[in-house]
Amino acid sequence: MAEHTLVGHRVPRIDSLDKATGQARYTADLTLPRMLYGKVLRSPHAHARILNIDASKAERLRGVKAVVTGRDTAGVRWGVFRYTRDQQLLTGDKVRYIGEDVAAVAAEDEETAMEALELIEVDYEVLPAVFGPLEAMQEGAPQIHDHAENNINIHVPIEVGDVEKGFKKSYHVREDRFVDSEYTYCQTEPYAVLVNCDLSGNLEIWTPNASPHTKAKALSNLLEMPLTKVKVRRICTGGAFGGRSDIFPGEFIAALMALKAARPVKLVYTREESFTSVRQAHSMIVDLKTGVRKDGTLLANEIKVIMDGGAYSSTGPIATSVPFLVWEETYRLPNVRFNGYRVYTNKPVRGMYRCHGRAFLGGLGMQLDMIAEELGIDPVEMRLRNALRTGDTQATGSKIISCGLSEALQQAAEKSGWKEKRGKLPFGKGIGMGANGMMVGFPMGIRGGSSAMIKFNEDGGATLISGVVDTGSGNDSMVVQIAADVLGLKMEDVNLVSADSEITPLDQGAYSQAAAFVSANAAMAAAIDAREQILNIASDMLDATVEELGLRDGYVYMKERPERNIWMGKAIRKALMDDTPIMGRGSYMPKIDQTREWVSNPKGQQAGTFSFGAVVAEVEVDAETGQVRVSNVTGAHDCGFAINPMAVEGQLEGSVASGGVGATLLEEHYWDGGQMLNASMLEYKVPLSVDMPQITPIIVESMDPEGPFGAKEAGLWGSMNMFQAIGNAIYDAVGVWIKDFPITPDKVLAALEERNRD
Amino acid sequence: MEKRLIHLSVNGDEYDVVVRPNQTLLEVLREDLELTGAKEGCGEGACGTCTVLLEGKPVRSCLTLAVEAQGKQIETVEGLASDGELHPVQKAFIEHGAIQCGFCTPAMILTTKAFLEENPNPSEGEARRAISGVVCRCTGYAKIVAAMMATAGEL
Repeated sequence: MAEHTLVGHRVPRIDSLDKATGQARYTADLTLPRMLYGKVLRSPHAHARILNIDASKAERLRGVKAVVTGRDTAGVRWGVFRYTRDQQLLTGDKVRYIGEDVAAVAAEDEETAMEALELIEVDYEVLPAVFGPLEAMQEGAPQIHDHAENNINIHVPIEVGDVEKGFKKSYHVREDRFVDSEYTYCQTEPYAVLVNCDLSGNLEIWTPNASPHTKAKALSNLLEMPLTKVKVRRICTGGAFGGRSDIFPGEFIAALMALKAARPVKLVYTREESFTSVRQAHSMIVDLKTGVRKDGTLLANEIKVIMDGGAYSSTGPIATSVPFLVWEETYRLPNVRFNGYRVYTNKPVRGMYRCHGRAFLGGLGMQLDMIAEELGIDPVEMRLRNALRTGDTQATGSKIISCGLSEALQQAAEKSGWKEKRGKLPFGKGIGMGANGMMVGFPMGIRGGSSAMIKFNEDGGATLISGVVDTGSGNDSMVVQIAADVLGLKMEDVNLVSADSEITPLDQGAYSQAAAFVSANAAMAAAIDAREQILNIASDMLDATVEELGLRDGYVYMKERPERNIWMGKAIRKALMDDTPIMGRGSYMPKIDQTREWVSNPKGQQAGTFSFGAVVAEVEVDAETGQVRVSNVTGAHDCGFAINPMAVEGQLEGSVASGGVGATLLEEHYWDGGQMLNASMLEYKVPLSVDMPQITPIIVESMDPEGPFGAKEAGLWGSMNMFQAIGNAIYDAVGVWIKDFPITPDKVLAALEERNRD
Repeated sequence: MEKRLIHLSVNGDEYDVVVRPNQTLLEVLREDLELTGAKEGCGEGACGTCTVLLEGKPVRSCLTLAVEAQGKQIETVEGLASDGELHPVQKAFIEHGAIQCGFCTPAMILTTKAFLEENPNPSEGEARRAISGVVCRCTGYAKIVAAMMATAGEL
């Protein structure tokens, strides 16, 4: 890597200048001439039949330009998969949660739109509703969708090996139940969408998103318009964390109104609407049975999870599977049975979240510690004994081509002072460990790959055209860093055109942790292709072979005689004159089993590669108040190779906030039936600067054979393993296991009181 | 509601704006003056992304009426760089990787500027407390605090 001028170096991100000066534009910042303002009428009922909607008074209000209801949608239903098409994005027959979209208005200003909403009369027949998955599965529970008996939305069954035999052979077997409540993304940018349409039937859409191509395809299906006419434009996105992936009612409704009014429509949600009417994270009830040999080797696992999916499917099949997959991507599981149920309830829709499955993964990682203690094994040793290694095959059949898990475990233990601290700290202080593996991409058919192009200006500058999507984590900067490095240019000499469904090629988006592996591989291939073309032209001009040439600082030079060189612009001009213009082209499709399917065929190669991480958390527990404070976090992540170590660290630090302090200790929603009681940032507590521990990020580089320069992914580390580390550290501090997330002071106090009673 | 003409002084520029008395400073900055660096994250003073400086002090512009800001110096992120030169706080945020999605960045930078002008050599704990009114969901605050500490003593 010594040759690299950019890759592997700490470089400022290309997007940070605009963001530091207020020039970066987010959807709500945009205005267009003659733009209208949209507002949505939402259901006040958790479950009701819509008997009639009368919007005539609203339509007559001065300044109102379009009113839409379910009547305008022809009953078209959306689902991420063919078998999950259960949601009318502007509901027609029924409402299934409080906050569901019933009608919408576009008017000359926001006040008029709000006034018009008051004039829409909706007759509801209120139906019995159900708010918990266990109740929803019972005989006689209100049926939320006609097609789903017992309200079961998705069932994923997986069985590998002989589970009964595994338990029989086990020296020790343990069973535990872990639960959690609903929580949410709470991206700093509330949901917003702007739609423009012209008389030729072109639609342009700006909305915070993780995949313009996915949004465009869905809208094209729903509006029955050709994909070439639906253009989702690039726009800055204020955080995603999994919550900007599939299509939402807002885009569809704003598009309907823009088409109806033949004017641009902007729809900006309030924070309350962003909480209730976009996406949340699932709550879960997780039953775990684990059997091990005397030395701690896992022999059998039985896992049953029931997830509260809310009113519609969203990414249900993926959400039902992912926590299990993360577990099988971490440890060797010879005999395992998994039954995942995602259940409909009359609550808002749940989707994939960066910290999805805290009860599931937190539970498994804490149960591992319980077993280790019962067998007298150190928790680090317990993990090392079961950790996957390079060359292993996971339970459902994915090969591991690079794995730094053992190294991550060892480094996190060593740098945190594990040996000196574990079990040796005074009462109230504790240390605990967690670990995870993570899929880097997953099967998404034609949308699972990425492609890129590079063109050149006659002054030697380049433009990279890539489908890569950046929701805040630095993907844009990453592909430019790679292209500039390969082409021997400065980052400022490479423009980027990205994330536009009309202009940029297909890409999976900032989703499934695939950008650094898939999008960056495609960008790298395009840069290598362009580089070869440049060197070919230059080899004639310098009278040298291609192998003798290098590219640096905008010049082609002979490696042995650097004084013999030409300006790259010259080669680019010659290529133009010769009618062989330099156009780099590259693509990458990860080597996965495309027949793998979440529900019907959950076996085969799941992802092109896997990342791995380990974390050690230190906590201080106040036994008087039950308050838990995370004081130190030492985390090691095998990201393959750090293209920009500063950006990798930023991902690790961010996931200590989201997965650690946030998901483990603070974040949850409160309900009265189907009514969310804390749809507000005053009441939904997220980590602040003063809540954060000292963080020591450690980058482990396993140099993946497929990844660009060896890179894999960096975002899903602490967000998926901090629950375990903090739960285990609390036990080390005060001797109680809290099996209910988030671990709030009341639960700690109750557990301490119960222990003292015993 | 009857509109009235008010006079605002933003980033050293003078503006006459016609506003309703219930319009917030945030709305007027974003919609009338097209200064969209200040963001609306919650509209109730909880998240801090709407922070601007009023007479050098950070305020929630979503909780400040535009009419209240008359006769005071208003500073937004757009006014920080001068003569094409970035403010040292902006430079530090860029160089230390303190910016991810960027939605909270204008508020973080303005809060830092006001804080460091008042307390040029803070402890790390003081720096953390200074930005504890602005929510960031991306960075875990680590690199923001690092950028703050790197700028300390420079203003």
